[in-house]
Amino acid sequence: MNFSIKNGTPVIAWLLVGLAFMFGLLTDANADPAKEVRIATVAYNVNGKIGFNGTAAIVEEQGWLKEELKKQGVTLTWVPVTAQSVGVTINEGFANKSIDFAGYGDLPSIILNSGGIETRIVVPGGRGNNVYLVVPPNSTAKTLADLKGKRIALHRGRPWEIAFARYVAASGFKFSDFKISNLNPGAGAAALAAGNVDAFVTLSDAYQLEDKKVGKIIWSTKSAAQDWKMRAELWGAKDFIAQNPAITQIIATAYVRAVYWTSQEEHLDDYLKIANQNGQPENVFRREYSNDSVPWKIRWSPLFDDLVLDHYANVAQYSRQANLIRKDVNTKQLFDARFLNAAIKELKLEGYWQPRKVALKGA
Amino acid sequence: MNIINQFLLSVKHFSGLLLPITVAVVWEFMSRQGDAYTYIFVPLSQIGSGFVELIQSGELLINLVATLQTTVIGLVIGGFAGLFVGGLMAVSPLANKLIGPLYHTLRQVPLLGLIPLIALWFGNDLFSKILIVSLAAFYPIVLNTFEGMRGVEHKYVEVASVLKFNRLQLLIHVLLPAATPSIMTGLMHALAFAWVSTVGSELLFSTGPGVGGLMLMAQESSRMDIVIVAVVSIGLTGLLMNASLSHLRQYLLRWRSVR
Amino acid sequence: MTKIRDLANSLHTNALFFVSPILLLLAWAWVCSAGIFPEQILVSPAGVYQTAHELWGSGELQSHLHDSLYRLVLGFAIGSLLGLVFGVLMGLFKPIDAFFAPSFNALRQVPTIAFIPMLVMIFGVEETFKIVVVAKAAFFPITMATYDAVKGIPRSYFEVSKVYQLSHLSLVRHVILPATVPPILTGLRLALGRSWMVLVAAELIAADSGIGQMMEMGRQMFRIDIVLVGVLVTGLIGFLLDRSLRSVETHLGRWKQS
Repeated sequence: MNFSIKNGTPVIAWLLVGLAFMFGLLTDANADPAKEVRIATVAYNVNGKIGFNGTAAIVEEQGWLKEELKKQGVTLTWVPVTAQSVGVTINEGFANKSIDFAGYGDLPSIILNSGGIETRIVVPGGRGNNVYLVVPPNSTAKTLADLKGKRIALHRGRPWEIAFARYVAASGFKFSDFKISNLNPGAGAAALAAGNVDAFVTLSDAYQLEDKKVGKIIWSTKSAAQDWKMRAELWGAKDFIAQNPAITQIIATAYVRAVYWTSQEEHLDDYLKIANQNGQPENVFRREYSNDSVPWKIRWSPLFDDLVLDHYANVAQYSRQANLIRKDVNTKQLFDARFLNAAIKELKLEGYWQPRKVALKGA
Repeated sequence: MNIINQFLLSVKHFSGLLLPITVAVVWEFMSRQGDAYTYIFVPLSQIGSGFVELIQSGELLINLVATLQTTVIGLVIGGFAGLFVGGLMAVSPLANKLIGPLYHTLRQVPLLGLIPLIALWFGNDLFSKILIVSLAAFYPIVLNTFEGMRGVEHKYVEVASVLKFNRLQLLIHVLLPAATPSIMTGLMHALAFAWVSTVGSELLFSTGPGVGGLMLMAQESSRMDIVIVAVVSIGLTGLLMNASLSHLRQYLLRWRSVR
Repeated sequence: MTKIRDLANSLHTNALFFVSPILLLLAWAWVCSAGIFPEQILVSPAGVYQTAHELWGSGELQSHLHDSLYRLVLGFAIGSLLGLVFGVLMGLFKPIDAFFAPSFNALRQVPTIAFIPMLVMIFGVEETFKIVVVAKAAFFPITMATYDAVKGIPRSYFEVSKVYQLSHLSLVRHVILPATVPPILTGLRLALGRSWMVLVAAELIAADSGIGQMMEMGRQMFRIDIVLVGVLVTGLIGFLLDRSLRSVETHLGRWKQS
């Protein structure tokens, strides 16, 4: 049956107009100075409320950043990112220009830059976090060697992969000596609890697993060299920084302010209240920082020192070797120290932190 | 004799409940076997208290409503787009030849597999979720609109041309009403697809409120009781929506004599 | 003369079928070469082809495909077998229907995808989990299709067979099968498509191999070209699966009198 219209051309014309319109919407043409700055940070959704962790929480709490930006006529927008897929979400955000800054980790940012999207470290994020290797509570494994050929849950492309890779290499193994399951942290924890994997690589939530009696920590970067810890920094899109140096400076200063406040021991308890909103019990946080050779104040040092440089050189090298990236990354290019140095000067914090040297050897 | 008959009748009546009750009993038995078993076989009482907990904190409602919202918005957008494209394809052979093949090839790609692309192109937020749900609803409605309109009896079309209807009038006064049964069927399918893809995209996007996100968090915290409550809610809500749509369909089609 | 014209006509309609996909492909290539979007966001067709070539050459693509298809076939076989048996039993025997129907309908309401977190908790992330997911996705629609098909057999068929005193085997062969095979086949085809979709979704969420996992890993490594290859391959497989079952349907339907 056929009810042909005599003239189908107008229809086609309208279709093309519609397509062109959608096209125009998608392409991004924005060279004016920014009226809004979007910072992505890990956030947790507890009972419908969004809470941040770490320095971003302090920055938001202090309110200084928001005020200063408002004075410039710029709105501050936090972009929450779920911990299950931080690297992916933020990389995509930088790629499609929906974020300008992000607080996230070393490996995903190397992956991003290797892929051709350029970002820069504006403020280094302190000493970093520990990485833990957890096994089921009744497991007989005591070292990595006991796990040879077994199944290990490891979310790939995340910062902890580097620390784990160094442990594997230092123990004389390769990834191919194990069955690596690429599970996100949530699925990995569940798999560990159900006994479906023989080990799980994660961060301080390892302590929660121990408390729930579904896991047992057999290794952590606490027993390794200082620069084995996973790192996260404040990254910014290179183009945005170039076009908006003033805004970038304000952000850098805000972060250094926050970190300075945190680094004072008397603020530890307050820090815990404000910056620990992921539903993790306080004692987990405290245990993460205990038995560590690094004093509290030093942990928060935002300086661009050898430790940071070397760490990234290592990450880039590992990624290339493990074929996680196809193009080499010149890590020296990643550091943009201007804003940090200006912030330190402005806040009169010269000498408060000393640049650190790399530790002599690995574990 | 009567009592026995009545008894047998009621047994038959309730035999459908036997299975669920047996399952529940076995479940509770398993949950008492030991600590390791409670991981999966969460005691029924705990499921109950988990349910209460979710209601009291409002979490269940907030997340369900969020999921429903996404589904409804996606359904509406996809539905109207589907009506438009389906109608277009029905009245214009050119459009049919151009859009048809595209539609059939693109339909094959599992929508949830497109999520990495959509996340990259459109972001990781509500917009992308709604986009996926709209796409899911779009496909069945296009098909059913098209088929429904094409299946219109020739005599109606003839009457329309006698009355010198232009295309738009033909569409509105003849094709649309005649295709309504088919479109309603398409809508039922679209609802099912939209519901499934909403939950699926919540599981994969893992941002924002929604029952999918609730289940993920429960899975991570190894709270099988919350997972079960969430699964049951998903099923019940789906059932309710289906039933409402079914009633709507019967109402709209009440003028149709049952063939 | 008319034969040639018919051939030309059918060529014409078949060729027309490809017009818009080809137009789309050209538009895609043009957009990429014009550099409207950065390469990381929209990979060019050439780039996708090259990556596909690489993946095929390194054997990665085959290995992932193999794993995915293995799970699909196994899970589908189990699910459809159970579904067929169940559907027939429920369709033929009222007590069984009454016994299972409420639970069945309740479970059917829950999308398979919603079961994934629960299934992961129960079965873990190995092969079992994925096969169970596929089996579940296939089981419910096939049971329904079989049930409807069996219920749809006109009473008269059974009466006729009683008159002829057909043995049970004959009954099945000459009455039940021909009447039910076509709708069951359609059900199988639809279920297969759905199972494939669910499998890809399950692999995206939790797996260590398979096409879905390949796409997820690509995403984590910021290799959108790998993701695109995965999307195309999944679409292609879905299309092939659908087509092959469709041709089985038409083939078997030839001898059926309407």
